Amino acid sequence: MTDAFMDESSMADDIVEFPRISTGNPQADSILGGGFPANSINIVMGQPGTGKTIFAEQLLFHNANAERPLLFLTTLSEPMTKVVSYAQRLGFFDVEQVGTRVIYDDLGAELAMNGPRALVPHVVESIKRLSPSIMVIDSFKAIHDLAESTPEMRRIISELAGVVSAYDMTVFLLGEYTQDNIEQYPEFAVADSIVQLERNRLGTRDERYLRVLKLRGSGYREGQHAFRITGSGLKIFPRLVAPAFEAYTPTLERTSTGVEGLDEIIGGGLWRGSTTLLVGPTGAGKSTIALQFMLEGHRHGEGVLFVNFQENPAQVKRMIRGLGTDPERAYATGFYHIYTSPVELQIDSVIDEIFSFIETARVRRVVVDAVGDLAEGASDPQRLHDFLYSLVQHFVVRNVTSILNLESAQGVAGGRDEEQRWSYMSDNVLLMERSAGGDGERTIRVVKTRNSSHDPRPHRMEIRRDGVHVI
Amino acid sequence: MNVGEGGALVLVVERDPNVRELESFFLNEAGYSVDFAEDGVAALALARERHPAIIVSEIMVPKLDGLALCRAIKEDPDLADTVVLIFSILAAHGRARDAGADAFLLKPLAEQRLVNTVRELLERRSALASCTAQTKQPAHGR
Repeated sequence: MTDAFMDESSMADDIVEFPRISTGNPQADSILGGGFPANSINIVMGQPGTGKTIFAEQLLFHNANAERPLLFLTTLSEPMTKVVSYAQRLGFFDVEQVGTRVIYDDLGAELAMNGPRALVPHVVESIKRLSPSIMVIDSFKAIHDLAESTPEMRRIISELAGVVSAYDMTVFLLGEYTQDNIEQYPEFAVADSIVQLERNRLGTRDERYLRVLKLRGSGYREGQHAFRITGSGLKIFPRLVAPAFEAYTPTLERTSTGVEGLDEIIGGGLWRGSTTLLVGPTGAGKSTIALQFMLEGHRHGEGVLFVNFQENPAQVKRMIRGLGTDPERAYATGFYHIYTSPVELQIDSVIDEIFSFIETARVRRVVVDAVGDLAEGASDPQRLHDFLYSLVQHFVVRNVTSILNLESAQGVAGGRDEEQRWSYMSDNVLLMERSAGGDGERTIRVVKTRNSSHDPRPHRMEIRRDGVHVI
Repeated sequence: MNVGEGGALVLVVERDPNVRELESFFLNEAGYSVDFAEDGVAALALARERHPAIIVSEIMVPKLDGLALCRAIKEDPDLADTVVLIFSILAAHGRARDAGADAFLLKPLAEQRLVNTVRELLERRSALASCTAQTKQPAHGR
């Protein structure tokens, strides 16, 4: 160095540079605006079994290629041997890194003997011995629970914060904290970020959510982001938000539904990029119309995505074959199919999958059969509505034409709040009915179209061998 | 010359005992002798008494802040040659330069960066001193 003050540019970098620590999970990084800020104190909170330890270990092993080692300190919650034993079953665990780049260390015995005041000297000694760039303390709340008084814990937190703020290290404090603890516990006052992992019971399954409660000096994606714990760590589904519309160019192109007579009553076909709600009772022919719409696009070389929750894949293939198309050939040439059993249905993963197809497979038509199943699988109807609204907006800006099937015996005019909500997010609403008489006559009528003239009268509809025909 | 192995005296000025301990530890590990002070007044007194080769000071220390300490060192004819490295959590590069510091480092503490900076500053001072000594010597006949 000839003169430390001559290099103004490097000094400017020092000040504005905002390095991030990747979580090892691209979705979590995206929620966090790129990852956790380096040289920060971060709290990962959540009840036992929510995935805190896995989240932290995934982060550690992802960063294990760094020059300096990474330290995982266990305390009095789970013994180190148990943590390591479980972590070995996870895909990201790399036994070669343990003891060299990822160091597991147990603070439990010192804490049991000397109480929480053992913490800071241990951290200082660990820094001298290992120079770790990341340190995880699991569980930090267990240390807090050992403190005999709030002032004692405040003093220890202040000391710890002094050390970790001054030393080039990023710290993660894991703990079984509750929402109430945030206002009471001093560790939350010094935290640069707080990430909460939640688990809610829904019927026979659990729904897990990640939520960022605080991220100092950075934007982040707010709200609940669903996740699953898998063999390779946390699989996160970031909450879908509506797209920006600045770059959106609407097209003036009509697309055919592929249903004889239907295009005519909706003004000559569906506008490209529009969303159509197809409402009707069981057996009205909604799935058949939807598949005809898919196959029409496929015939014209468009990528199409059929999402359903009732008929299993074999049944869907039989329906496609019944409509005169070889399903295997269709599946090999741009006809995509997502089937999820309603029992396993988690809306976040379905929406994420649909969105991935739109992004990567460039599909031009999407059918969701049926949105009522999504509503059944959602613990929070408002959240589902927000998700679907955002998804539909993404359809709009990408000029993806979609049909959402909704099973309903009453129709949208019945005034049910749920149906009204679906209706509001749709450009077109088609209502299918079946007469109560012995003939079971089927009709279809256009309840609403946006930017289009239409024929509002009910039209008779027949399901023939080659599909639905509107008379 | 490897200044680190020469055991040059470094005066660390830092109020946080844990951070002070870490800075001292890493500088010791690099081969330097280390003295420390908790505040600027104690640091100035220690500098006058021990004549350290370099002072590594946080700005935010009690009684006399790191920048005032730096000015006092540079204005004292007996200490003006002492290298001053401002090593602070406060991003005050310009203020450190105005105070006459030889270099500024922004915390957090990364030991290699700190040790390298100290080493380079001392090497530079040593080179300058040797250069000055040569210019002062009478010219020998050719």
